[in-house]
Amino acid sequence: MDVWYQCEIPYPYVPQEALDRADSVRASLPNKYCDPALSAQLFEECLDEYLLCDELGMNVAITEHHAGINSLIGSNPMILGILARQIKKARILSLGTLITLRPDVVRVAEEYATADVISRGRLEIGFVKSGLSEMASNNANPIDNGERFWEAIDLISKALTYQDGPFSWEGKHYTHRHINIWPRPYQPTLPRMWAATGDPSTAAEVGRRGIVNVLVLRGPEGTRTAFAANRKARALAGLPKSMTDRFAYAAFVAVGDTEEEGLRLGAKLLWFLNTSLKHAPQFLQFLPGTAPPEAAPGTYRTKPRAAGPGKPGQVPSVGANAAALMSVTPEQAKQRGILFAGTADSVYQQIMKFYEAVGGFDHLAMIGRSGPMTHAETEKSLRLFSRDVLPRLKEIKTVVAGYNQQDA
Amino acid sequence: MTNAIAAATERLSVAGCDLEVVRRGKGRPVLLLHGFQNVDPSAPFLDGLGRQAEIIAPSHPGFGDSKRPVDFGTIYDLVHLYLDVLDALPYEKVSLMGFSFGGWLAAELAIKAGKRIDRLVLVDALGIKISGPDTPDILDVFNKHPNEVIRCGWHDPKRWAPDYDAMEDEQLIVRARNWDALCRYGWHPYMYNPQLKRWLHRIKQPTMVVWGASDGIVKPSYGETYAKLIPGARFELIPDAGHYPEIEQSDAFVKRVGGFLAS
Repeated sequence: MDVWYQCEIPYPYVPQEALDRADSVRASLPNKYCDPALSAQLFEECLDEYLLCDELGMNVAITEHHAGINSLIGSNPMILGILARQIKKARILSLGTLITLRPDVVRVAEEYATADVISRGRLEIGFVKSGLSEMASNNANPIDNGERFWEAIDLISKALTYQDGPFSWEGKHYTHRHINIWPRPYQPTLPRMWAATGDPSTAAEVGRRGIVNVLVLRGPEGTRTAFAANRKARALAGLPKSMTDRFAYAAFVAVGDTEEEGLRLGAKLLWFLNTSLKHAPQFLQFLPGTAPPEAAPGTYRTKPRAAGPGKPGQVPSVGANAAALMSVTPEQAKQRGILFAGTADSVYQQIMKFYEAVGGFDHLAMIGRSGPMTHAETEKSLRLFSRDVLPRLKEIKTVVAGYNQQDA
Repeated sequence: MTNAIAAATERLSVAGCDLEVVRRGKGRPVLLLHGFQNVDPSAPFLDGLGRQAEIIAPSHPGFGDSKRPVDFGTIYDLVHLYLDVLDALPYEKVSLMGFSFGGWLAAELAIKAGKRIDRLVLVDALGIKISGPDTPDILDVFNKHPNEVIRCGWHDPKRWAPDYDAMEDEQLIVRARNWDALCRYGWHPYMYNPQLKRWLHRIKQPTMVVWGASDGIVKPSYGETYAKLIPGARFELIPDAGHYPEIEQSDAFVKRVGGFLAS
C-alpha cells in the first residue's frame, strides 16, 4: 500500500462570531477575513510538511477548493508546480484541478504536462467533479457538471498523449481547434489517472476506464457500495478484474504517543467537518443539478412530513446529512471510518479493519493537517506515522480488489 | 398554491417536443410563456384573462410535465421551438405574453416573427443587460440565499411565497425540475442575451411592459428602460406586487392586461 499525504491548507483564523454570523463559510464569506500574512505563514508551513513527507517516504497529494475557509488552494497547478520542483523522490498526485470549473481544459493539460516535466515524470493526475459553492465561485453551471467532467477528461487525455501535431476538438461542452501542447509530458504514456467520486454511477464509469477510484470520507458502507459498483461495471463490460491498485481511500489520520493524544489531534482535524462545511442552502439542497428532482420532498422541506413513513426510495435531506457530519465527535468519526486516530498500533489496526471491510485498496490518502492543528503537531504525527505505521502498510501487496466481498 | 398541476392535461407535440399546455378561455389567442415556474392551472388570473382571450400556456421543455429532448437545452432551442409553435397554432396572428424568464423569450420571438404577433405583453421580463459590468440588473436567484430571493420576489412574501413544508411531493418535484431547467437555460450569461437590446427596435407591434412596483428580482427602472427600447411601448406599474403581479394582484393585472389585449 502507498500513502499519499494531503493537506487542503485550510484557514482557521476567522473569528468564530464571523463564522456564526455567516450563512456560508464558503463562496460568500468576504475575503477581508483572510489575512495575507497568516496565509503566507500557512503556505510556508504546509509546503514544508509536504517536503517532510518526501523525506519520510510518503507520496503527496494536492487538492483544490475555492473561496472558503476550508482551503487556500484555489489554484492546484500553482502548488503542483512548486512541489514538482522541490520534492525529489515522492510521486505527486494532483487530486485535482477542478476541471469542470475551467472553461479551457487544454490549459489544464498544459499545466499538468509542465508539472510532469519539471518533476521528471512523477506526476499522477486526479479528477474531482466539484460542486456546491464552487459552482458560484467559478461561475460554472451546475447542470451537466458530470457530462463536462468526462468530456474534459477525454480532451485532457488526448492533449497529453497526441504527438503528431495539432488536433481539433469540437465536443458538446468544449471546442478547441488547434491543440498541440508544449512541453509534452515527461512520462511516455498517459500518467496514471485518479477520480474522487462516491456516487455509484460515476464509480462504475471510473471502473470501466480503469481509473483509480478514490473515496473521500465516505466510511465503510459508502465505500463498499462504490467499490462494488466499480467492480460490477467492469464485469458487465467484460473487462478483467481490477487489482487493489485501482482503489483508494481518503481519511483523516492522526498519530500520537498515546491513544488520547492521537484522538486529541483527530478532534482538531474534524474542524474540516464541524466548521468548514457550513454551506448556505443555495449552495446545497437548492443548487440545481445536485440531486434528482425526485429527491425534492426530502431536500426542500425544512421538516419531514408528520403523516406516515416516507415513500420508498425517498432520499434523506442533504441538509440532514451535512448536519450529521458537522456534529460528528472524534469517537463517532473513528467508528464511521472517517478518522484513523490514536497510537501507531491503533491507527494501523483501524486502517486494516477498514481495508477488510471494503475489499482492499492500495492507496491511503492521509489528510494529516486541518483546522487548528499546528505545524509542530502535524510534523510529530507525520513522523510517528512514517516510523510505525507506514512500513507495515507498505508490506500489503496488490491483490484482486474485493477479494473478500460477495460479488468478487 | 393548490395541487392542480395534474389538471394541465392538454398536450401539444411540436418539433420533437411533447409539451403540456394549460388552456383557458375564448377570444383572441394569446401564447403565454411562463417564468421561473410553469403556469399553475388554478391561478385566478387565467380565468380573468380567459374571459377576454384564449390563453395557451405551454410548459417549456424541462419544466412541469414537458420532457426535454436530450439534444435540446439552450435559449436558441426555446426560441426556435416557439417559432414552430406559432406555426403549429391555427391562427394567422397570436398575441404574446411573457412573464419574467418567459418575457425574455417573448421579446426574442417578437423580433424574429413580428408578422405573426398581434400584441406583445412583457411582465417583469428578463433578457437584456442595462447597467455596467459590476452592477447586476437581475438578482442572482441561484447564488443568493433563498430567503433573500423570496424577500425580493414578493411584495407580501408572508401571504404569497410558496411554503415547501405545506406542498405535496409532486409539487416539490416539479419545482425542482423547473429549477434545474431554468439553470440550464439561464445560467450564463445570467438571464440575458447580450445582443437582444441591439434588436428590440424591430418590434413594431403594440407593446405593453407591465411591472410589479415592488419587484426586487428585477427593478421597475429596468422595465422602464426595456419599454423605451421598444418603439411605442407603454410601461405600466402595478402597485403592491413584486416579481409576480399576475399572482399578487391578479385583478389589477387582468384589468390592465386584459384591456390591452382586447383593445
